[in-house]
Amino acid sequence: MLESIPTELRIIAFIGAVIVAVVALIALRGEWPKTRLEDHVTKIMMVLLTVGCIEVMLVAIGTIGRVK
Amino acid sequence: MAAANAHAVSDAEYAEVSGHRLLGFLFFLISDCVIFGNFIFSYLYLRNAAPLWPPVGIERPYLYLAAVNSIVLFGSGATMHYAMEGMRHDRRSQFIGYTLATIVLGSMFLGGQAYEYTHLLPHTTWAGTTFGASFYTLTGLHGFHVFIGVIFLIVVLLQTLRGTYTQERHFGLTAATLYWHFVDVIWVALFFLFYIY
Repeated sequence: MLESIPTELRIIAFIGAVIVAVVALIALRGEWPKTRLEDHVTKIMMVLLTVGCIEVMLVAIGTIGRVK
Repeated sequence: MAAANAHAVSDAEYAEVSGHRLLGFLFFLISDCVIFGNFIFSYLYLRNAAPLWPPVGIERPYLYLAAVNSIVLFGSGATMHYAMEGMRHDRRSQFIGYTLATIVLGSMFLGGQAYEYTHLLPHTTWAGTTFGASFYTLTGLHGFHVFIGVIFLIVVLLQTLRGTYTQERHFGLTAATLYWHFVDVIWVALFFLFYIY
């Protein structure tokens, strides 16, 4: 069933990835001055979350990822 | 009663114990990373040893559903961060709203994964090929972690509603947040391995 609606899924994935990446970067900026151990871990997590969003954006625009 | 006991400890003692707990929890997360790392390297070894990947007759997992599902999970990482910020700034309604959003998004991710397992991979079985074994083991292990994370969040939400955590004393929430971020980040690697690479 989903094979017939890839464009809609790609659009949803792209828009979602942009939103989450922006939110993660804003969160990272907020965390940046903090110096406790958990804050440093959170910074790393937010960077990797942004990487994940970029991964999904590239998939959505067809730059990476194999459909079949 | 639990809240009363928690406050019987001085702030300095609580801070010291929280530091030890945090270190212990980070060691737990690192050991979990090692478990995933072992499975990932096994997968890469099997993949490189195979003449054709995925094996003949096995379809690749459906990319775009996984992309949407990934964004659902990554979005839950963002909502969890803001839930934690709510607790740090003593904004209880923000904490409750964002934690509920995280629980819903985590459950949606599990639903998407269940749909993928049951509808999109009819020829890929756990026992059929090394691809199926690797795929279901790793994504299943991750899904189990998400499930545990959802339970973890429900528990800390109920504890918060009972008044167990305060703006100054909320180590359980810190642990839940770190665990949830960890689950997100592991998926970044798994999504790349199974759907993109």
